[in-house]
Amino acid sequence: MLPLSEKKCDLPQGTLDLLILKVVALGPVHGYAIAQRLDHATRGVVQVPQGSLYPALHRLENRNLLAADWQQTETGREAKFYRLTRKGRSQLETDAASWQRLSQAVALVLKLSEGGA
Amino acid sequence: MRWWQRLFRRNQCEEELEKELSFHLDQHTNDLIADGYSPDEARRQARLALGGPEQVKEMCRDVRGVRLLEDLFQDLRYGVRTLRKNSRFTAVAVIVLALGIGANTAIFSVVNGVLLRPLPYPDSEQVVSVFQHDTKVGIERAPVSFANFIDYRARAQSFAGMAALRPFSFDSTGEGEPETSHSWLVTEDFFDVMGIGALHGRVPSRDEFQPGRESVVVLAHGLWQRRFGGDVGVVGRKLTLDGKPYTVVGVMPPEFHLMDKRGMIAPYVLSESDARRRGANFLTVVGRLKAGVPLAQAQTEMRDVAARLAQEYPQTNREMSATLVGISEQMLGGVRPALLVLLGAVALVLLIACANVASLMLARGSERCRELAIRAALGAGCFRVMRQLLTESFIIALLGGVFGVLLAWWGLDVILALSPGSLPRSEHVSISLPVLGFATALSLMTALVFGLVPSLHFSKSDLQDTLKEGGRTASAGVSRHRLRRGLVVTEIALALVLLVGAGLLVRSFARLISVDPGFTTENTLALQVHVYEQYPKAELQAAFFEETLFRLASLPGVQAAGGTTAPPFEDGIEVDSDFAIHGQPAPAPGQEPTAQHTIVTSDFFRAMGIRLSRGRFFEKSDHARAPPVVIINETFARRYFPGEDPVGKRILVKRLTRPVEREIVGVVGDVRHTGLDSPTKPELYMHMLQVPFGSMTFVVRTDSDPVMLLPAVKREVWTVNRNLPFYSVATMEQLVANTLKERRLSLALLGTFALLALAVAAVGLYGLISFSISQRTHEIGVRMALGAQGRDIVKLILGEGLLLTVVGVALGAAGAFPLTRFMRGLLFGVTSTDPATYAAVATLLTGVALLACYLPARRATKVDPLIALRIE
Repeated sequence: MLPLSEKKCDLPQGTLDLLILKVVALGPVHGYAIAQRLDHATRGVVQVPQGSLYPALHRLENRNLLAADWQQTETGREAKFYRLTRKGRSQLETDAASWQRLSQAVALVLKLSEGGA
Repeated sequence: MRWWQRLFRRNQCEEELEKELSFHLDQHTNDLIADGYSPDEARRQARLALGGPEQVKEMCRDVRGVRLLEDLFQDLRYGVRTLRKNSRFTAVAVIVLALGIGANTAIFSVVNGVLLRPLPYPDSEQVVSVFQHDTKVGIERAPVSFANFIDYRARAQSFAGMAALRPFSFDSTGEGEPETSHSWLVTEDFFDVMGIGALHGRVPSRDEFQPGRESVVVLAHGLWQRRFGGDVGVVGRKLTLDGKPYTVVGVMPPEFHLMDKRGMIAPYVLSESDARRRGANFLTVVGRLKAGVPLAQAQTEMRDVAARLAQEYPQTNREMSATLVGISEQMLGGVRPALLVLLGAVALVLLIACANVASLMLARGSERCRELAIRAALGAGCFRVMRQLLTESFIIALLGGVFGVLLAWWGLDVILALSPGSLPRSEHVSISLPVLGFATALSLMTALVFGLVPSLHFSKSDLQDTLKEGGRTASAGVSRHRLRRGLVVTEIALALVLLVGAGLLVRSFARLISVDPGFTTENTLALQVHVYEQYPKAELQAAFFEETLFRLASLPGVQAAGGTTAPPFEDGIEVDSDFAIHGQPAPAPGQEPTAQHTIVTSDFFRAMGIRLSRGRFFEKSDHARAPPVVIINETFARRYFPGEDPVGKRILVKRLTRPVEREIVGVVGDVRHTGLDSPTKPELYMHMLQVPFGSMTFVVRTDSDPVMLLPAVKREVWTVNRNLPFYSVATMEQLVANTLKERRLSLALLGTFALLALAVAAVGLYGLISFSISQRTHEIGVRMALGAQGRDIVKLILGEGLLLTVVGVALGAAGAFPLTRFMRGLLFGVTSTDPATYAAVATLLTGVALLACYLPARRATKVDPLIALRIE
């Protein structure tokens, strides 16, 4: 049995949206796949409490950043697939750029402290 | 989906959500099975990972964004279901509210139509009535004389225009019975001053105000409907008025009418001789102030103008000033106080209704304690519970509002039927849009008022206690009970205020109708005629009246027939003027004694039932060639001949006749002239044979119902002169009743509201006592088991009820003292703090309250002690 990851990070809401948008940008995908992707891509560090995933997805859909429709999976079941809209794409770019700037600034500050010590 | 789609396709959203989540769970489960978990364990882990599906669903629902509306719908549906189940409570609450809201809506539509609606004249605050202010006699709003009007118009700078109206009555002949058309003759600026034009046709043009061209007339809307059936073709038709052809040039719109609803308007051309008459006052004058000129400034200016005229023409204008009154005050000032009092009264009624429904909701709430506690346990926030209770309040309030509006609609019909003519602008009174808006706002407000009380009461902590103690809490119940008692005491207090108001009006009315008018009102007809046109000479006039009265007196069923120039309670020709008493020192100028001068025929006093206290009535021997005589009334005798017998003394009468000394031959009882509440004035009567006059009112006393004799009376008059129309026809009782119409209406309305309030308060008390008894069943059982008689139980219960009543009555009386001060203008013969009224009302209220307590108390005595003791 695989242990479920214990090192769960609490994600602020804005960051979760950014991650979802990025994952969806890679191609139309349903909710479970997004959860798996996130878990996989972050090497288990970020385990989104799946309960907050769906409210976030629906919120993004309401804001027209994602579009959704029902399609058949390989197994024959119907699932709700999300894809990025044009508005979502530009939102993703904006948010990603902000995140880059923020993380660079934080890194700079951290380096500064070490260097000064 | 767009948000409104999400709102209406709720089921679809829920299905999709379910599908999405179960897909997720299945996928995760499959993956975990593939990883080696057992199916059950896999499922369990998947569910743990996702979190409780209901919680997730709730979060998704919140995100949906239409939560508020969905919850509202849910609350509404639940509320309707609950109210349907408790239909008795709902019915009582709705009825009580409907009464309160209905009464308010009805009175508000009257206030809206009469007082709030702007007058149809543009910039109506600039339109004023101009009166002469006779400072000697103390009449502030007297009609203006011709010459004064011309000078006012010429000299006043504050006015953009001024016009005069002369009341006039045309004799309409030609078709059918001769009819009198009451009209205004107006000067040329009139339509500009009022600022209103014709609905059909046109108003008279300026050049039709020239002599020779003035035979045109404009019809008022009411007359146009009544006599010409609203036929537009009447414009251009010719009518015969006073024997001359007049062309109808237009019809006025329905909202145009002045103080007095006359049927026609015709141009008035002042002749040279008219223009010189400064002493004859019967013009109504209206003016439009220049833009931006305030009334106070114009008033000051007019006073100066009048003062200058008083110096230039001391003979007529001495002590004559001028008064300006805004047109809306002139038209509406009479009814405003009464309407405002009624508005205040219905507001109190609504408060009582709200208190009652709040009390009912509290009572019901104690039964719902468990349900609400369980809701709270299931996760409903305090706010959510309050919202549910408030939603129910709104449903009740809206239902009450709907029925209230229906009630008001019916009630308005009744009010309008009871008040023909006495309510100005009554054609505007209806359930219009602003009134509906008012009713809606009122419903919402009352929902808040009586909904918040129980909602706030059922706070969360209460509910937890409820669950713990298995449904019956001591503390919450006690505070609820205290609140209910407070509400009932408030209802009783407010009901007392209303009852005091109604009681004061009742006493005023009773005092008023017990006033002795000075003559007998039963079985008397009054018919007014003007004969100037047809009998221009004095002798012809006298002869006409002589013959007609002789014929009338000879009719079977007629006891006496007389004539007078000033019948009581009617628009007669009242002449107030000064005289001089022979043998008394001449008074200082400006201090001459004045009296009302009336001309009557010999049988007048007998026909009116006026009694003789000294001397004799007039007789046929007091004719034109006999020594001039006069009769005075008791007030005259008391004031100017105190302590002596006036009969045989002489007074010099100057008005209505050539100045000559007349001998006093009799003293008659006082007669009230303008109304039962008017003071008596000194009067002198002269005989028609000595002082002929061109208009008279025939007063005919009959043996029985006067209306039955009316056709015969009319026939006799027309036998003498076929073309003589009657200016007015009425029975004396009608004339007296007319003066009481407004009071009667106010009394009826306030009385109804007060009784309504009493009923609602009594019902509230009854409900409270019944509830209290049901709570104390155990205690009553114990008492009865210990030997208490039914009587003692009743005394116990009545004691509680009496305490509440006494407190309520005391509070109400304390509140009524300052509030009834606003009613002072409506009272007659009683003060606003009349102790007898307060005592009577307090007794009535206490009696009704005791009855309301007694009924449930009696039921309590029928309780079987064994059953009562078993109740936990």
